Parts: sequence; structure tokens; C-alpha cells
Amino acid sequence: MKLFFEGKKRRVEDNINQAAKYAGLSDEELFTLAEFDPDAGEKTGYSNYSYWRSTFRAFLHNRLALFMLIILTLLVLFTFVQPLLPDQYDPLKVQTNPLNNSKIISARAPSTTTVYMSVPAGTMLYAKKVDEEWYGVRNSGLTIQSTVTTKGSNLVYFTVLDYGEEWTKIEYEDEIYYIKKTDTDGALIEFGFRKLTKPEKLTDTPYVTYSNNCIALYAEPEDISQDGDYLYVEAQYLDVREDGTAVTKGETELRDYPSKMPFLLGTNSAGQDLWARIWSGTRTSLWIGFVVAVFEVLIGIVVGIIWGYVRALDRIITEIYNVIDNIPTTIILVLVSYIMRPSISTLILAMSLTRWLGMARFIRNQIIIIRDRDYNLASRCLGTEPARIMVKNLLPYLVSVIMLRMALAIPNAISSEVFITYIGLGLSVKTPSLGNLIIEGKRLITVEGQQYQLLYSSLVLSVITISFYIIGNAFADAADPKNHVL
Amino acid sequence: MNRLWQFFEACGRFISAHWLTLVILIVILAGFFALMAWRHLVKYSLKRLGASVLTLLIIITVVFVLLRNMPEEGFIENYDKLSKEQRLQKLESLGLTKPIYEQFWNFLKNLFRGDFGKSTKYSINRDVMKIIAEKAPLSMILGVISMALSLVMGIPLGAAMARKKGKFWDRFGTAFIVFINAVPAAVYYIFIQLYGTKLMSIDLTFSRGDPVTWILPIFSMSLGSAASYAMWLRRYMLDEINKDYIRLARAKGVPGRKLMFRHVFRNAFVPMIQYIPASLLYTVAGSLYIESLYSIPGMGGLLVQAIGLQDNPLVQALVMIYSCIGIVGLLLGDLLMATIDPRINFVKKGGVR
Repeated sequence: MKLFFEGKKRRVEDNINQAAKYAGLSDEELFTLAEFDPDAGEKTGYSNYSYWRSTFRAFLHNRLALFMLIILTLLVLFTFVQPLLPDQYDPLKVQTNPLNNSKIISARAPSTTTVYMSVPAGTMLYAKKVDEEWYGVRNSGLTIQSTVTTKGSNLVYFTVLDYGEEWTKIEYEDEIYYIKKTDTDGALIEFGFRKLTKPEKLTDTPYVTYSNNCIALYAEPEDISQDGDYLYVEAQYLDVREDGTAVTKGETELRDYPSKMPFLLGTNSAGQDLWARIWSGTRTSLWIGFVVAVFEVLIGIVVGIIWGYVRALDRIITEIYNVIDNIPTTIILVLVSYIMRPSISTLILAMSLTRWLGMARFIRNQIIIIRDRDYNLASRCLGTEPARIMVKNLLPYLVSVIMLRMALAIPNAISSEVFITYIGLGLSVKTPSLGNLIIEGKRLITVEGQQYQLLYSSLVLSVITISFYIIGNAFADAADPKNHVL
Repeated sequence: MNRLWQFFEACGRFISAHWLTLVILIVILAGFFALMAWRHLVKYSLKRLGASVLTLLIIITVVFVLLRNMPEEGFIENYDKLSKEQRLQKLESLGLTKPIYEQFWNFLKNLFRGDFGKSTKYSINRDVMKIIAEKAPLSMILGVISMALSLVMGIPLGAAMARKKGKFWDRFGTAFIVFINAVPAAVYYIFIQLYGTKLMSIDLTFSRGDPVTWILPIFSMSLGSAASYAMWLRRYMLDEINKDYIRLARAKGVPGRKLMFRHVFRNAFVPMIQYIPASLLYTVAGSLYIESLYSIPGMGGLLVQAIGLQDNPLVQALVMIYSCIGIVGLLLGDLLMATIDPRINFVKKGGVR
């Protein structure tokens, strides 16, 4: 690209220089009679016209299409590179905080870092191992003393000393602790009083109650860590001792979840990373579009060439075409996806069933126009087999048409996919595609603060469909020899 | 509004009760029309009609065969609660255990009587046609209004684009057309709904009594056809403008405005007439997207619901109605075109050498 621009610049400079050179000369010097040259008289003109070069040049003249082509290329490249980038999430994995098993649902976007806070070297933390690389820590050894987890019949009994607005003061195993109201309200109210005498009001302290939930016990009624949840530290920054405490080595970043990679676009309502889902969905949709385009072109060409070239079949195929062409394409799309199990191959089949018709007709018309041109007649007279004529003489003329149809098939397939998903016959959420991302986002449009989920997937989808459309049309214009006179 | 409403409701009921008669009537009328107008048209019309009937038969067969291969839950109401014997009994009473050719024959017979079976999930044991007849009028009235709106928006836009090629309106219209054609309808419909309702501070859903809630669905429904009208009109008008007779008229000093409307527009509009019947019929049948987005109780929304519920008889009936509409639309378009455009010549036979 750079070379191209430089070459053009140099050409323009040459022209200017030449003009400047001639500008100083007088008319007499500029217009002198040329001497008779018999060789020059014999010279015949030839055109160095090349179809593909002209097409390329005409295409480059369309700035918008060029710009779109660059954007699209980058985008498509990125969709394939994205899974190879470090620290990417699995689009299907439900993201959880591993230590309290809560899903990370509807994390807000955009978040560009996972760092919650930094602590200096030598900070003491309570650490719990997640895996080889990550430790979960509860911030500031002073606040959270320990956690009490009970399962099944092993209930934890404790005495409530003071039931406050935010913190509840309790006595547990002869020690005074504070527990968070948000943590334990459910436990106190729903499970607390089944076997014990129930106090009239929760504030009538002291009384004994129990919990069968996990409770964090705080030494002081304050919580520096994030809502009492674990924060995460890479193992290499921690010096873990046997009693469960750890000391930070150097300036340490405490993270929201055990990954360096933030949820760039947040997570969806099921707790999956939207960024990964969008690219995975783009891959699926592009794949569907590409396969549909290939099928369309293959079937369209084969049928079109036979239809146009074999005269005996023309009549029959035309009649069949007239009948099939009447069937509304949407109906076939709906019907096929209704009957078959939703999957990528169902979608591809449903779309390919009708799309080739238009292509076949177009090819047939083109073939009828060019099949009796002189060079083909000559070819036939020289005894070339029909198959060879079709492939060598006719097909090259159709390359531009084929490329146009392929370019337009992709936005079309994406639209159809969105449509099918919309009426509830599309891919399941297990296979992310642009269609079901849009529909997923659409369900959230009434939720304040979640509307961005629709925005990002629509944006990627629109960029892809619009650029394919514009490039396809620009290419069709460029491929038309009428536009080659520059 | 109310009286208009009643009128449409009555129309809907009438059409759904006598749809087959109406189709036949339309076809006969069209045939008669053609017979009266041009004799050579008759052959074409008959051929075209034959193709349509054949297509319809193919669709009926395909729908029949495909739906018979669906799991049997879709044919029986309360499937989970019944025992195996009861299910078998139910299937027998529906005639689904008979050999396939016998079923097909019964199916055809019922179709001609206008009997599409009974709904199994959506509204148990009610006649499918009755359900549809309730829904059709609202779809029709919305469709007619949005069709009118799309003509009002699309035709002047196309004409303005062709008149001032490369100027503001042309650029604006091109951007509009590219956007509408390239971006899936669902996406911009959702955004129109989201921001439109916010802007007008109204509910997301449609309510029949509140005229303000009619605006957005009708507007969104008309966008697609408006873009296609504008696109085709611009193309045809530019084709006309470059023709010799326009140059001659201009040389003779016909004023620009008159030239545009008398000659260019009128000639360019002829090929567009072909698309109008299909487009009208489709919009009248209701938009799948719009109706389910705004919860409009119309035919399109019904199809989406029926698919979600796997109500086979209802899906079958709706699919048939939609394909019938499509076929009749194309047929009418072709016949209209053939009747109106004197340039179409049926005597000469081209193409096949």
C-alpha cells in the first residue's frame, strides 16, 4: 500500500518537474517540426489494457470502498487472531469467582483493568489457594479473622450480642466478632430460628442463633476488601506461610478475579465474557456466510452453465425455474429451520436451498450472451470439448460476477441468521453467533445499564455487513469495463 | 378510526373465511382482464398462472411431507399428560396413523374446504383459521398505512436522488439505502424501538387504543420498502435520463421540471409497478419482526409465537398463507406489468436459438 502511494507520488512529481522544464522554453522551442521517420510511420498502436489491472485501479479510485476494505480486512484478521492472543477467555465458560462460586454476572463495561487496588510490600493477607498461579486473599489481616463454613447438619451456633444496621456483633467460640449484615441476613432470618426460641425482634439481643451458610468473621466492623469477597493475587507475589497468612513481596496488585485480562466489554447475564463471545460469534457468522456463498457459487455456476450452454435443457430448466422462483425464500428458510434441529449445518442448508437460483439465472443470461461470440464459435469448430469451452472460455468472464455475489452473500447470510434466531429457530447460546448475541442483547434492552450489550454486537455486525455490501458493489462497478476508461 | 377499524376487521374476517374463493376469483379476474385487453396476453397469463398453481401445489406437498416428519408432540395438545394409548387414540382420530397418500388426500380435501385443523398449543382445540381471522385485521391496517408511508417516503426520495445526482439528497439517499440493505432489519428495528420509545417517552409495547404507539411500528415497517423504492426509482430514472428522447426533449426546450415528471418519472415508474402488488400483500400480511417486537397481536407475531410453541397446525396454516400471498403477489405483479407496459412484446420469441 505504501509502495503504491509512493509510486503515485513519484509519478506526479515527475509530471510536475517535466512541466516546469518546459515552462521556461519559448513557443518556438516547444513546437518544432518533427523530422520524417519511416519507422515511426510503421508503428502500430497497441493497448496495454489489462482487465484485472483496470479493475483494480477503478476499485482503488473508490476511497470509501478502499477504506471499508482495510477496516474489514483488519476486523476479519482480528477475529481469527483473537483466540491466539494471551489471556483470552473461553466464550462459553461461565466466569465465577472461584472461592465463593458466585458468577460474575453482568460485569459493567468497559473495564480496562482487573486491578482493584495495590498494596505495598510486607502487607499481611489471609490467602487461600485457587490454583498454581493464583491465590485468593482477603484484604488486611486485621479485618477478616476467619470464615466459618458449615455443611448439612453441622450448624454453627453463635450468640448475637448487638444487631446493628450494617454490622452484627456476635460471640463465637468465646471470641467477639462482627459479621456483615448483607452476608448473614438470609442466614439469620431464613435458617436461624427453627429449633431455638425465636426472639420477638431481631434487635432483642442477646440470643443464640445458628447459620448453615458460609460467614466471614471480622475483627472490626469495617471491611476494606471488596464487599468481603476475595481478591486475587498472583502466586509469585506472595510468601505463603503454613497458618494461611501470606506476606506480599514488593508492590502487589490485588485483582477482582484471578486473571490479568479484564472483561473488556463486561460479561453477559449468564456470566460469560462478552468480548470473547463477540469474536467467537463473528467467526461463526462469517463461517456460515462463507460456506453459504461457496455453495451458492458452486451450485449457481454448475446449473447456470448447463442451463445456458446446453440448448436442449434450456426450456425445461427455465420452466422449473419459473415454478421454484415463485416460492418465497423466507418461507423456505423458516420451514427448513423449523423442521430440522437448530445447528450451523441446518442454517447453511436452509440458506443455500434458495440462494443459488438467482446466481444460476444470472450466469445463464451471461452465458447466452457470450456463448456464440466468434472466439467460441472458432473454438467449437476446432473441436474443443464443451466441458473445456465452459471452463476455459466462459468461466473467466464470470469471475467478477462470482466475486460480487460472494461478497453480497455474506451480509445476506448474516441477516438471515439474525432473522432465524429472532423467530426462535436459530443456534443455541452454546454456539455464539452474531444473531444470538443480538437477540441476547435485545432481551436486556429494558434493563438500565445493560443496553450496551446490544450495542457492541450490533456495531461489529453492522461494520461487517455494511463493508461487505459497499466493497461488493464497488467491486462490481470496478469490474464493469464501462468504468475502465480513466 | 373506529369505523375504519370495523371495516378492516370485517374485511379480515371475510378474507380468511373465503380465502380460496378469493384467490380463484382474483386469478379469474386477472385472466379475464388479460383476455379483454390483449389476445397475446392470454397465452402468457395462462402460462404464468399454471406456474403459480404448480408452485402452490409444490409448496403444499412440501409442507405436508415435512410437517408429517415432525415429532408427534406438535400435533397433540397436553402431550405430556396423556398415556401411550390415549396418544395413539388421538393420533388415530386426527387420521395421522393412516397411510401417507390417504393422509395427503384428506389434507387436500380439508384445504379446499378451508379447514386447516385445530390449534394444539396456542389456543387448544380452536380452529386455526378462526385464530388467524382474529389477528389478520390489525396486520392489514398497519400494513396499508406503512405501505402508503413507504411510497410517500421512497418515491420522492428516489426522484430527488435521480434529479440531483451527486448532490446532498443523492448522498443521503445512498447512505440510507446502503444502511437499510446491509444491516439486518432486526438490528435497526430494535434500535428504533429502544431510542424511539425513550425519545417519545412511551411504552415499549404497542397498544391499540393509543395512536402514539402506532407511529414507531409503522415507521419501522415502511423503512425497508421505502429504501427499495428509492433505489429502484433512482436507477430506472437515471436509465431514462440518458436516453435519446429525453435529450431531444431537452434540446427542444422542455422545462426541467416538466421533463422530469412527464417523461422521466412516468416511464421509470412502469417497471416499478411490477413489485408493488407483492410488496403490498407482504406488508398487509404483517411483519414478523415488528409485530413480535412491539407485541402487536397480528399475524406475523402469531407465526413467531406458534413456532416457539411448536404448534404444528398453526405453523402449517400460516406458512401456507404466507407462501400463497407471495405467489399471488408475484403473479399479479407480472400480469399488471404485462398489461400496462406496451413495450413488452409477446409475439417475438427471443433467447433460445
